[in-house]
Amino acid sequence: MNNNDGKLHYAFYSGCCFQGADARFFDILQQVFDKVDVELHLLPEAVCCGAGVIEERSELTSLAINARNMAGAEKMGLPFYTPCSTCFNVISNCQKRLEEEPKLFDQVNEILAEDGVEYKGDCKLTHTLWMLAQDVGLEKLSERITNPLNGLRVGSYYGCHTRNPSDIQNYESSDNPTSLEDILKVLGVEIVDYDTRDDCCGYHLTWPNKDLSLKMTGSVLQGAQKQNVDLMVTSCPLCFKNLDGVQSKALAATGQDFQLPVLFLPELVGLACGMSPQDMKLDWHAVPVHVRL
Amino acid sequence: MLTYDVLIVGSGGAGLYAALKSRMEEDLQVAVLTKVYPTRSHTSAAQGGVNAALANKDTTDTWEDHWFDTVKGSDYLADQDAAELMCREAPQVIREMEHWGCPFDRTKEGKIAQRPFGGASKIRACYAADKIGHVMLHTLYEQGLRHGVNYFNEWQTISLLHNGQRCLGVNALDIRNGKLHTIQAKAVILATGGYGRIYWTRTSNAYGNTGDGAALAYRAGLPLKDMEFVQFHPTGLRRTGILMTEGARGEGGYLLNALGERFMSNYAPQKMELGPRDLVSRAIETEVREGRGGTDGEVFLDLTHLGKERILERLPQIRQLCIGFEGVDPLLEPIPIKPTAHYSMGGIHTDINGLTPIEGIYAAGEAGCVSVHGANRLGGNSLLDILVFGRRAGNHALEYARHTDFQPMPKDALAPAETYIKTLMDGDSKETMADIRRDLGNLMADKAGIYREAAGLTQAVAGLAELKARYKRLKVKDKSKIFNTELGAALELGNMLDLAEVVALGALERAESRGAHYREDFTERDDKDWLKHTVTSRGSDDRPVLHFEPVTITRFQPEARTY
Amino acid sequence: MTEKITPIREKMLANIRIQRFTPGDDRSPYFDNFKVQVETGMTVLEVLRHIKNTQDSSLTFRAFCRSAICGSCTVRVNANSVLACSTQLLPIIKDFGKASVTITPMANLPVIRDLVVDIDPVIEKLAKMHPYLMENRERIPETLEQESLMSQEELKQFESLTDCILCGACFSACSTVKVDETYAGPLTIAKAYRFSIDPRDSFRGMRIQASMDQGLWSCVQCRKCLKVCPKDIRPADSIRQMRRIAIDDGIHDTAGSRRAKAYTDDVEKFGQVNKPMLPVVVNGTKGWTAIEAGEAALEKYGLEPTRQVCTLPGQDGAAKIYAKVREIEKKEKAREQQ
Repeated sequence: MNNNDGKLHYAFYSGCCFQGADARFFDILQQVFDKVDVELHLLPEAVCCGAGVIEERSELTSLAINARNMAGAEKMGLPFYTPCSTCFNVISNCQKRLEEEPKLFDQVNEILAEDGVEYKGDCKLTHTLWMLAQDVGLEKLSERITNPLNGLRVGSYYGCHTRNPSDIQNYESSDNPTSLEDILKVLGVEIVDYDTRDDCCGYHLTWPNKDLSLKMTGSVLQGAQKQNVDLMVTSCPLCFKNLDGVQSKALAATGQDFQLPVLFLPELVGLACGMSPQDMKLDWHAVPVHVRL
Repeated sequence: MLTYDVLIVGSGGAGLYAALKSRMEEDLQVAVLTKVYPTRSHTSAAQGGVNAALANKDTTDTWEDHWFDTVKGSDYLADQDAAELMCREAPQVIREMEHWGCPFDRTKEGKIAQRPFGGASKIRACYAADKIGHVMLHTLYEQGLRHGVNYFNEWQTISLLHNGQRCLGVNALDIRNGKLHTIQAKAVILATGGYGRIYWTRTSNAYGNTGDGAALAYRAGLPLKDMEFVQFHPTGLRRTGILMTEGARGEGGYLLNALGERFMSNYAPQKMELGPRDLVSRAIETEVREGRGGTDGEVFLDLTHLGKERILERLPQIRQLCIGFEGVDPLLEPIPIKPTAHYSMGGIHTDINGLTPIEGIYAAGEAGCVSVHGANRLGGNSLLDILVFGRRAGNHALEYARHTDFQPMPKDALAPAETYIKTLMDGDSKETMADIRRDLGNLMADKAGIYREAAGLTQAVAGLAELKARYKRLKVKDKSKIFNTELGAALELGNMLDLAEVVALGALERAESRGAHYREDFTERDDKDWLKHTVTSRGSDDRPVLHFEPVTITRFQPEARTY
Repeated sequence: MTEKITPIREKMLANIRIQRFTPGDDRSPYFDNFKVQVETGMTVLEVLRHIKNTQDSSLTFRAFCRSAICGSCTVRVNANSVLACSTQLLPIIKDFGKASVTITPMANLPVIRDLVVDIDPVIEKLAKMHPYLMENRERIPETLEQESLMSQEELKQFESLTDCILCGACFSACSTVKVDETYAGPLTIAKAYRFSIDPRDSFRGMRIQASMDQGLWSCVQCRKCLKVCPKDIRPADSIRQMRRIAIDDGIHDTAGSRRAKAYTDDVEKFGQVNKPMLPVVVNGTKGWTAIEAGEAALEKYGLEPTRQVCTLPGQDGAAKIYAKVREIEKKEKAREQQ
């Protein structure tokens, strides 16, 4: 499906973050990617990646459904793009396992055959960070910046699932990733270092252990707040939902009281590309985004 | 005062096995004293396998075949009664390890898998991938947790106490807070491992393999045995001495000197790189001595001609080791290697129960010398030795402790240890530990290593006297009581200097070549004059005094050792 | 044709910044800087030893085997937990793009001195897991005349987990230990799992209980332990597997078990998780409060709240896959029981 139209095309795997009540994220992504000549094509036959949780019942099920997800992109002949870091992590893990274990690869394909699907193993996976930094390229991105966000003090936050373990990385160092900061620099912001940048936000403990989850969230926010950032920006939609949506609870649980705006990376890119806070639906944030953008 | 029925010094395979045995069978107070944590011990570094004539792979194998291979491998210096006992008990101790959960690899029938090993006439080495020592050590540690073995982790033993007839206990330093303690014990088992570190950087051994137990015993007047026998492995990594297994040469790797010449053609034109270990080690040493080595005295193991695919498929671990430890990718360039001191055949003189001439004092494993390895240890027998003799020492010490009383401890038992440490802390010269240690390693490697001859060994003995004098002036600069690793290393250095002297003197005295001991001036084995053990005690002037004891020969008469 | 061998070597003067601290003697941790000529082949441990031997003999760290099998020398280099002995320094300097690296002790454990931490808390947690084989007499003979029989396939199920060297790198990197000091930590659950699936063992139930007592469902799956493990034993994956056997053995009444059931069943039914209903599914009736709060929030933005999951179009295929996997798993179970 390469249309020779000067655009980059991706099979888009939404995961659970980009539909239903969160469908606005998809609108935002499409608006932003439109600015940088990226076109997303919905994977027609996708199912939820299971967030790794399905492995707690059946590892084989988790591998099979995700091989099937990848097979969809293979069929479209497009790279597999997911904006969700956890989906990326789980599907990457599936890809590595099947690459390393030929027996498992065959067994999974035997299962997929029930549904008339074949996983070939040549699916290329990518994530927002690497798509922007590598495929679109920082040069092109900078050409599209019409509203540089100079002077904005930003704490960058990757989250865990595009970094760990190292073997899911196919673009940059897992120990010292720079893609997020590279993109942010192009947007014109000032990047502020803070000591909880590499800590986990605790999202995946929301259900099994809410108290610990809130502690982690509160601790990450506190680290950034200490450095007087104007806002935090993250490339992971789950970290975003957690750091923004659960912020008041997390701060209450950890005995703190402040409001720290958190943005999902595409939102900030959109703003720098000249879109309005309304376009980016910033009024939806749980923590008001009061800063000058 | 801390008091135990049985105190075990050292937490490798022998120590943990002894502890487990003493703990399991009777409700006596047993403790393990270790300068590290138990799972850090050097037993974990053994990769290849452990011998037992289970006959799972080769149904014709018997313990007697194993016995013969052991004796022949020892160049006939092993005591045949001890070797017999080890080989007979081997299947049982291996099965016991298996019953405790040790994850041996498996045959198609589900039994313990075995692989061929150098010097073995049958397929006999039981294995767990390339980590048999690691899994055995952890299995013993795990069962120790189950049975409630007490550990004193990060305690360094300073001296061994006895009253001339019987064991009293030890003096030891709690590394974490710098406090000295006397620990009273009816029985002490020394299981502190080998002394490969006397060659300092020229060894595959851990930093801590400084022969502590042997040195403590020696200073307490106990005899050491066959200390001059130290096995070298031809291919250790240049910087660290870490082993590159024979597998790399087995796959077709070349040994090259710095000129790029495949020099083994001058030494073993038929077998080339796959000649016996001692021959390959000497060939490498000759190349370096004659100026054809690299700048650090290394030669090269070249795999590049094997091609990327073959290396990645057959030798992936070796490649990772080279990248991690040496910063060299064997796909791109030859691996720098040096022969490396690998195993200490000698140790504390014991009988087949691990008992020394002092009642209640035992030694087991590489720290002891029964002797089952003689002049050269057979591959796969080191792990077996620690199990069989760890167990025997444990059982015997238990029996002894059960039927004996605590001996009165002199009031000033701790004083010599306090003085020793005070002297080290208060030295008054510019001597540093790092310098003395480096000089010791170089001296031993040059004069008492792979090649030995009278003049060099005489220089070594003189050089060691000088080093010992320098050591007396040593000053530990770190004054902290808390985790003082400089002090710990200084104590270890004192141990190494004492042992190095025994090694050098034994090597000088032994005017023949046997097993790992190679004399350029006496290149043949001499059964007429030298089929005997070297037994060394400390003389009144702090110099080693040697005497010799006969080898026990029960079945196998000495023959030429050819493979 | 022979050619003189010239090794590829690079050199660089680097600043090594090391955390120093002796509790009791020092009020708080501070940093010392050492200049070291770092060359190709130098490990972090060699650099530490070089500093100790030539610049400051009081610098304190642990090291023993220096061949990545004893697990003594774990430290953090630029915040990443590594074994000092098997980590080349030059590539890190290049990765971070500056000739200065920071070495600190392991995290999540009390410092004894400089880079030496107290690892006893890890050992204590491990000891509670029954981390040893308890004989299953159906498999292990009473006497030493025979070994127990176990297939290589059975061994392979847990073999890689026996690589663990108790170095504590995963514990140092663990996100949960950081906020909950009662949590078991990755390696101890991995060890519990290793024995629980050993067919020669009979103590699986006790270990499931022990791991639940120490927070089996508190792992956040940040996957950091997978990254830092020098032996690649994948502790976080073992934790998922430990949860699996706990559920298999009848542990259904925990929030974690209920979440696992909800995710698994929902994906089969709807192609995705029925998020609107998750609070009640996981937390029981008290979850209604959360659902109502969520709905109120949606209304604030002018959205129609729904308790209906929006299905993903792949759900029919998912159902077929589930059916097939069940068939395979059933067969495997039957074979195991034989």
